Amino acid sequence: MVDFSNHPEMKGFFAPTRFEADVYDCEVTGKIPSDLNGAFVRLGGDWLYPPKFEDDSPFSMDGYINMFRFKNGIVDYKGRWVKTPRYKADLAAHKQLFGKYRNPFTDDPSVHNLDRSVQNTTPLCFAGKLFTLKEDSLPYEIDPKTLETIGPYDFHGKYKSLTFTAHPKVDPVTGDMICYGYEATGLETRDVFLYTIDKTGHVKREVRFQAPYVAMVHDIGLTQKHVLIPVYGFVSSMERLKEGKVHWGWDNTKPAYVGIIPRDGEAKDIRWFKGPSRATVHTLNARTEGEKVILEAAIYDGNPFPFFPPIDGSPWDPTKARAYIRRNTFNLASKDDGFTEEKLFEMNVSDLGRVDDRYLSLPYRYAFTAYGDKQRPFDQWKAGNLGGRVNNCYGRFDLATGKMSSYFAGDTHSLQEVCFVPRKNGAEGEGYVMGVASNYAEMRSELIIADAQHLEDGDVARVLLPFRATAQVHGRWMDEDELSFA
Amino acid sequence: MLTRRDFVAQLAVAGAAIGAFTLAPGAAALTEAPARSQQTCQPVVSFHMDRPYIDPTGTAMPYYPPRGARSGAPVARFSEETFRRMQCYA
Repeated sequence: MVDFSNHPEMKGFFAPTRFEADVYDCEVTGKIPSDLNGAFVRLGGDWLYPPKFEDDSPFSMDGYINMFRFKNGIVDYKGRWVKTPRYKADLAAHKQLFGKYRNPFTDDPSVHNLDRSVQNTTPLCFAGKLFTLKEDSLPYEIDPKTLETIGPYDFHGKYKSLTFTAHPKVDPVTGDMICYGYEATGLETRDVFLYTIDKTGHVKREVRFQAPYVAMVHDIGLTQKHVLIPVYGFVSSMERLKEGKVHWGWDNTKPAYVGIIPRDGEAKDIRWFKGPSRATVHTLNARTEGEKVILEAAIYDGNPFPFFPPIDGSPWDPTKARAYIRRNTFNLASKDDGFTEEKLFEMNVSDLGRVDDRYLSLPYRYAFTAYGDKQRPFDQWKAGNLGGRVNNCYGRFDLATGKMSSYFAGDTHSLQEVCFVPRKNGAEGEGYVMGVASNYAEMRSELIIADAQHLEDGDVARVLLPFRATAQVHGRWMDEDELSFA
Repeated sequence: MLTRRDFVAQLAVAGAAIGAFTLAPGAAALTEAPARSQQTCQPVVSFHMDRPYIDPTGTAMPYYPPRGARSGAPVARFSEETFRRMQCYA
């Protein structure tokens, strides 16, 4: 018997959906651009069964992959659970057997040694295959035609880390994928394994090194010459796990480190720079200019996640959970291990920003991300009072001029992560912004498609689902010449 | 519970005596509210969830149920911390 009644927060738009779905020839307003052929693939989480512990993290939700398949102006939708061993064990037991986020000591003894991964973070298309990614385990291969789960994937046995990042970087020049695993040899290890995998899916190179402390390494920066590895105040220990806590706690005394290693370097070549306490959970882009390495990202002032609480017992501070687009500059010629930080825009934005991926690791101009504009109207009568907690706009941020342009989703909507879809053979920033909006008045999800160069004009098309799509963590556009969709 | 059907039956009997009531059927209550300048100043009875609703404001406005699902409302009372615990990226 499934019972979510003890979870008053899981109501209305935020109630679990728990179903798989196919919608053929979705309802569309506007006109789907004829050059969009492929799929917008999303990955996120939903609770198949209620969490075993009320203070668990939403990152423990079961993975759910879904896609909007675009073909000749028609859009189909398909959604499926990622059927991990964990999903299957819970379904067989008719209850949640797994405990807190990345803490096997809190699991039911019946699932001891079973793969705990929920595969709920990022979809990846690489080497002609579709994967789901979760940073505590190997990637899972997914059938792109059916979205059914095939299973864990280790790149022909050559990928040796036990874990794989949710944010690999594909070099647009070489086609190589730069990826890594942290806690690579097991829980609470400082080991990081960094890989280069060629475009056919074969491991070319492996470097093993240690992080300054056991910490979350959620994303990296990539330039044509260097890899940047941000490490910040989410800490863990075996003692903490044995005490029954979630994997991460926030240590405000830890400086933020950024490790920089040449792409052809060895472990001895890594150099750790140190700065004030920040959280660089996601990066935008990076580049090497002479002796300088430059990283741009929407960086938090402190801990963005209250479910990974401060380890000193102090209350979580919402005023630190604000992300701003910043530029960090590292001088390789300097003997100083510090770096400079500039705030490029004064407005608080979503840290789930994107760039034109054809310019990843290269000089670039535009960044895209969602944000909440309180000057825009919000109809509480129709949508319900969300207390201003909506991202109602997508912004295009011009890093060269400091200007921005804005798309407004509507007065009953909130936008999830933005995705940029380049127009073939177009210049940087020519193409579409795409993302799912939650329509709180109609209690349904809508896929937004807007011209990235004319955001103020509104969307060119919306795909209307007749239900709420599972909340997304990350989504990716995958062109149909990259992957064999149905 | 006084249902709409019962109420309408009673109203038919008492209607002549009351006289001044205007009945706004439930279906009509779902339509757009008229502009205030167009409203007539008289007592109004309307229905919501099969129950009669008598205007308590003195402005003679029938009750219009919400036109949206208001599906964000359940989280209105939650703090920023509780909201983020639930869905940090929703």
